[in-house]
Formats: sequence, structure tokens, C-alpha cells
Amino acid sequence: MSTEVSTNLPPHPEKATLEGKNKVLGFWLFLGGEVILFGSLFATFIALRTAFGSGPASQELFSLPLTAVATFILLTSSLFSVLGIQAMHRNDLSGVLKWFGITVLFGLAFLGLEIYEFFEYVHEGHTMSSGAFGSAFYTLVGFHGAHVLGGVCWITGLLSKLPKKGLNVVTAPKLYVASLYWHFIDLVWVFIFTVVYLMGKVG
Amino acid sequence: MTAHANHSEENKSLRPQEGPKRHIITFIVSIFLTALAFFAVAYMPESPFVIPFIVLIGLIQAGFQLYVWMHLDQKGHEFPTLGIWMGVFFVAAFIIVFIYWLGGY
Repeated sequence: MSTEVSTNLPPHPEKATLEGKNKVLGFWLFLGGEVILFGSLFATFIALRTAFGSGPASQELFSLPLTAVATFILLTSSLFSVLGIQAMHRNDLSGVLKWFGITVLFGLAFLGLEIYEFFEYVHEGHTMSSGAFGSAFYTLVGFHGAHVLGGVCWITGLLSKLPKKGLNVVTAPKLYVASLYWHFIDLVWVFIFTVVYLMGKVG
Repeated sequence: MTAHANHSEENKSLRPQEGPKRHIITFIVSIFLTALAFFAVAYMPESPFVIPFIVLIGLIQAGFQLYVWMHLDQKGHEFPTLGIWMGVFFVAAFIIVFIYWLGGY
């Protein structure tokens, strides 16, 4: 039975079963909650973004090239996860592994940049306790970074099982939901680079 | 499961006609808009229009993510759309309350 399912993948395998449908809907509900979570962190950050305390001001702190590179990496990884889902719709297992694998690598590159960035900031006196700006900054950007790390672990876990389990109506919703999560992380980053970095640079 | 096997030919024709083209175009436009936002801040930081401009670009990009990449534009996404817009409504309320009502910092 399992071989039959895997060779005859339905057109929309992520929603071919009731369980798959419910999984996708449930995940959207989770994303609705995430919108509120990040929204409240954004509101806090916007309200406190000029309370520099003893730390440096955002205009001198932020480096636009570093943020631009991080943004490019994350936007590109979002494209790769879409290509991974399209490979899944074509029942192309090696394509799924390739595109989601690259997505994970780009996610790791983004995390590396973020860790380097935080190290630099701490050396410049911008810490969690240097002022309300510092607290709000690390809470918001750190929460996003933790989501990226979560996504990297999640997708890696799915990919490690995929060669054995294959593409079917059980594994397809899992991949689809992981790609939704990855796009959502990217969506949050769009607002982080706009509100935190670009608006911080403008002052 | 036998039903699946019987309909496999039919399924092929129902398979979504999607190509990477739409997503690659969206991606290029996204990168272009991002570059535009960075250039605006790098070269015109004094302009009073720069913040509304980059926020507008951010909102357009968020729309791309939701409606193109996450397929909110497809049928059967009424509940997700409702959920996300409810979230946006609350977030807008948070931001207004934190900044304009409580006065910010």
C-alpha cells in the first residue's frame, strides 16, 4: 500500500488527506499566533528604539552592508524552499532533498552572520542590559534568530527521514508546513530589516 | 487506495500547472525592492519620505510572501486569510497603543 501511494502522488499531496488538510489549517492558526507574538515584540521595539541608555545609538551601530547580505541570503532561501515544494509536486524526491538542503545551508549562513553581528555589537557596548533599546533589539532579533534555528533543525530532521520514507500523502504535508514556516520567518525578517535596521539608520 | 491508482491518469492532468517562473519573477522584484529600500536609506537618510517609503516597500514584500509564496491567493484559504488579517489588526492596535497612546519613550 505504501509503495502504491508513493508512486501515485495526488496533485496536491499536502491536502489529499483529511489529516494533511487539518495539519495545514492548524499550522495557519499557529502562524496567526506568531503574528501576534512578533507584532507585540515589534510594537515594544518601536516604542523603545531611541532609549539607547549607556549603549551606542542605532545610527552608529548598524552596518547596512551586513544587513543587506543577511537579507539577500534569507530571501534567496525562501525561493529555494518554493522550488523544493514544486519538486515535491512533481514527485521528484532528489529535487526536494536538493532544494530544501540548500535552504538549510542558507539558513545556517544567515545564523552565522547573526552570531558574528551580535558579537560585534556586544564589543561595541550594545548589550541586553545597556538600555531599553538593547533589550528590545535582542529580544526581537534574537526571537527571529531562534525561529531560524528552529526551522533549520526542523527541515534537517524531515530531510534525514525522507530518503527512507519517500514522498507520499504522509510526508508531503510535513514538508509543505515546514515551507510555510520558512516563508513566515522570511516575512518577519522583511519587517526586521525595515523597522530595526533601516529605520534605525535613519533615526 | 485503489481509487487512487484508477485515477492516476486523471490526476496527471489535474496536477497544478505551476512553474518556477512566477516565483522567480516575484523573487527578482523582491530583491529589487529590497535594494531600493537600502539605497533610499544609504543615499537619502535626511528625506522625510524615506521612512514611509521603506515601510511601504516592506508591506508590499510581505504581501508577496503571503499571497505568492504561501499561496494565500489560492482557493480554500479563507480561514488562513482571516487568521492572518486578525493578527495584523491586533498588531496595528499594539503599535498604535504603544507609540501614540502610551507616548513611546
